[in-house]
Amino acid sequence: MRNGIIRVGGWASGLAAAAVVLSLGAGPARAMTAEEILMYKGADREAVLLKGARKEGRMVIYSSLIVNQMLRPLTEAFKKKYPFLEVKYWRGSSGKTFRKVTAEMRAGKLVADVVEGSGITGSIVKAKIALPLWSPELAPYPKKFNAADGTWVTTRFRYIGGAYNTKMVAPADVPKTMEDLLNPKWKGKIAWRAGTSSSGQLITITSLLLAWGDKKAEAYLAKLSKQDPVPLHISNRGVVDRIMEGEYAIAIGASAHHPLISARKGASVAPMLLNPVPSLNGTISVLKGVPHPHAAMLMVDFILSKEGQALFQKAGYFPAHPGVPAAKDLQQVVPSIAGKEEFFVDPMALLNTTKKSKKLASKYFK
Amino acid sequence: MTAGPGKIETSTATPPSARGRALWARIGVSPVVLLLVAVLLLVIVPPLIFLIKTSFYTTTFTGAFDKFTYRFYSGLVRDPKFATSLLNTAIYAIGSACVAIALGVVQAWIVERTNTPLRKYVFLVAIVSLGIPSVLYTISFLLLLGKSGPVNEVLDFFFATGRSGINVYSMWGMIVIEGIDFAPLAFLLLSSVFRSTDASFEEAAMMCGANVARTFRRVTMKLALPGVYALLILIFIRAFESFETPAFVGRPGGIYVLTTNIFENIQVDEPPNYGQAGAFGVALLVIVWGLLYWYNQLSRRAERYQTITGKGYRPRVMDLGRWKYLTAGVLVLLFMIIIGLPVGIVVYASLQPFYEGVSLGGFSNMTLANFAQILKPGSFRDAIINTVVLGVATASVVGPFTLLCAWLAVRRYRGAWLLDQLATMPLIFPSIVMGAAFLQVFLESPVPLYGTLLSIIIASSVRYLPYGMRYSYAGVLQVHNELEEAAALAGASRPKTFLKVVVPLVAPAVVTCWVFVFLVSTKAVSIPILLAGPDSQVVAVTMFDLWENGQTVELAAVGVTWAAFMTVLSGLFYVMARRYGLKFE
Repeated sequence: MRNGIIRVGGWASGLAAAAVVLSLGAGPARAMTAEEILMYKGADREAVLLKGARKEGRMVIYSSLIVNQMLRPLTEAFKKKYPFLEVKYWRGSSGKTFRKVTAEMRAGKLVADVVEGSGITGSIVKAKIALPLWSPELAPYPKKFNAADGTWVTTRFRYIGGAYNTKMVAPADVPKTMEDLLNPKWKGKIAWRAGTSSSGQLITITSLLLAWGDKKAEAYLAKLSKQDPVPLHISNRGVVDRIMEGEYAIAIGASAHHPLISARKGASVAPMLLNPVPSLNGTISVLKGVPHPHAAMLMVDFILSKEGQALFQKAGYFPAHPGVPAAKDLQQVVPSIAGKEEFFVDPMALLNTTKKSKKLASKYFK
Repeated sequence: MTAGPGKIETSTATPPSARGRALWARIGVSPVVLLLVAVLLLVIVPPLIFLIKTSFYTTTFTGAFDKFTYRFYSGLVRDPKFATSLLNTAIYAIGSACVAIALGVVQAWIVERTNTPLRKYVFLVAIVSLGIPSVLYTISFLLLLGKSGPVNEVLDFFFATGRSGINVYSMWGMIVIEGIDFAPLAFLLLSSVFRSTDASFEEAAMMCGANVARTFRRVTMKLALPGVYALLILIFIRAFESFETPAFVGRPGGIYVLTTNIFENIQVDEPPNYGQAGAFGVALLVIVWGLLYWYNQLSRRAERYQTITGKGYRPRVMDLGRWKYLTAGVLVLLFMIIIGLPVGIVVYASLQPFYEGVSLGGFSNMTLANFAQILKPGSFRDAIINTVVLGVATASVVGPFTLLCAWLAVRRYRGAWLLDQLATMPLIFPSIVMGAAFLQVFLESPVPLYGTLLSIIIASSVRYLPYGMRYSYAGVLQVHNELEEAAALAGASRPKTFLKVVVPLVAPAVVTCWVFVFLVSTKAVSIPILLAGPDSQVVAVTMFDLWENGQTVELAAVGVTWAAFMTVLSGLFYVMARRYGLKFE
């Protein structure tokens, strides 16, 4: 009987121990769906995300951010903060990225957890493939630059300007207005990026259509086509590199800060802003079928946080966080500071005008 | 059946194994052949069907099939874009074939028929260049010949042409670069032609008083001409399907060929125009099929020019006297153009912090930072591993598979002729078209394959089946049937005979096949570029992306590292080949 008592005692304490362990591990009553994780506002949000991310073990970001300048430092800083996560990035232009994620979704196997880009937003909205998300880091951001339904949030701004080779263009000759580009001495010496709606040829045309109206814009384009601008099928960064290398004297429709970043390292290139200066936003979204929702939200939080936005500042981007200004030496290309006329191109306007821009591009240019 | 007294019981029931064999004998087809045919049909038919299906549908905003239409085909006829691309493709293909042949003939003649010093190194250089990705090669020429490159700088210095002395982003630029890229291959194939020409024809000519130059023109070249024509057509076909050079050199100059049209329809157009790509792909397929048919007809007629006669033949090596130093100089010059300068500029660029052309200042700026960056754990390391896995897997699938198919076909098993036909069929698919076709297959596949390394291995294996078939077929043909009959008489089963008699004898052909497929599958870009995802990056696509993203100096570092790696491998293969007497023709 002594054994029986001890055995019962053992059994009871085993049960009690089990009850304690189970109650310790209890979080929300059942597993949350991806939608719920993305919109979770509970007090224990941080703990829930960390726990889930540990189980998921991986975070993949697709972005059009430049690898050396930003994407790699961003993912390295993120990995430092969450060393238990395997962090992978893939860099592609907005069009390429959109094509990739839609192909993955068609194949039933989305790989991207987070999609970041400037120029991809309109496509994501039109295709209705993004999930609404919420982050406590959103509090300081102005609501007008984020989607009303939470499917995308602005992470950075981008100003479209030109670049010129300082060895090939004298300071007095630098174009100051769009009309200056029509000067015959620039014939054949202007390059711009072709093949993407948010840069180069197409953004120049789109922003002129939106800012000046169809008639004035088309009249200008007819004159510009006589200058034989050269189309380059490479990234914005690549276009500026070609100017640096001396292949062409001037680039238009490029990201205004790229030449400044190279000039920091001693390259012979400088930016130029021509009115109206188009500004675009870079946004971040999480798509339906996201493979690692907890890890995805940790990345969203990180990018929106002051820590993440400071990385953008350091890398020469224009942070969207009101409390993080652009780097001092880059402020000269912020239109409001440079005394230029800024024209914000709304993502939906960009998407809807692009078709017309493509028609004009093939009509007047190579 | 009852056994009665005095009756001998005989059983007329056939034992089960004999029944099985009798059944197969009635069908007449070996189960192995059936299985192989089924596998081949499974990997070849879906891409073909999907390609054709795609060409009849418009694409939705998100890339799915939309509406049925004929307009992509009517567009081929009405749209000037197709005609222009076709014309560009033809000019480009003829031009680069001529350049390659010219360079190849010069080298092949010097190496095989003269006593020029240094000539034995040409083989090594040719094999090594086989392992260098075309992406890297093309880019190195762009760095050399581009507006900010050393050639334009020199021209500007002497003639004040202002950096625009030569514009490489043009048709001639495409032709020259592709021609030089093909020259090593042309050399390898032509050297066997020159090697097997009977010298007695040339000796007869020289005895009649012809000098070296005349003999070359009127005897040597004439005898080699059918081989040269066949090679011309082969290179023409390869140039038709070529992608890297038109992509990097033609596109910035606004010159499009069929392959770059297909690529842009899929990777650049927003939304992707799969229908147009499909129609162009089908058109390209039909054209290439026609060209191959013509090539086969020509090859058959070339037999009339056989010079390996019943008499003993040995090729004659001509003594050039003091001219041999000139020809050695020619070899060195060609070496510089084909390997030296391209490698040189890439090495230079890899040591720069950023690329601004070649200058004296550049030499003082040299840094190893790019190498440090790419060799850190990260995407480049993954790409190398993926690429090696891709090469090994593709070669290991293609080699044994085609050996089995070839053996069955040569030994005339029932239905095995179909294996030969099916395994050779992928030849009509240009790589980019095969990539486009498989893309559709993987997107619609119930098994999630899109973006995986396995998907690239599958597409790659199918692409290189014909090459495997060629080596395996030639290898099996050399093994006489009587060896297998002897094994059968000694009691060996068919599988055992195959493994223990045939395989060891055809080993040299299989190994050659393995090495060749490994080298070409690791350097290809047009298949992985449409299929690769972040987890399945391969080196060639990494380099393509780096160029498009303007990361020139990193690209150079990646290129140097990979080229060094492949050179070591190719060198090893070459040494092994010499040791075991393998040939690469």
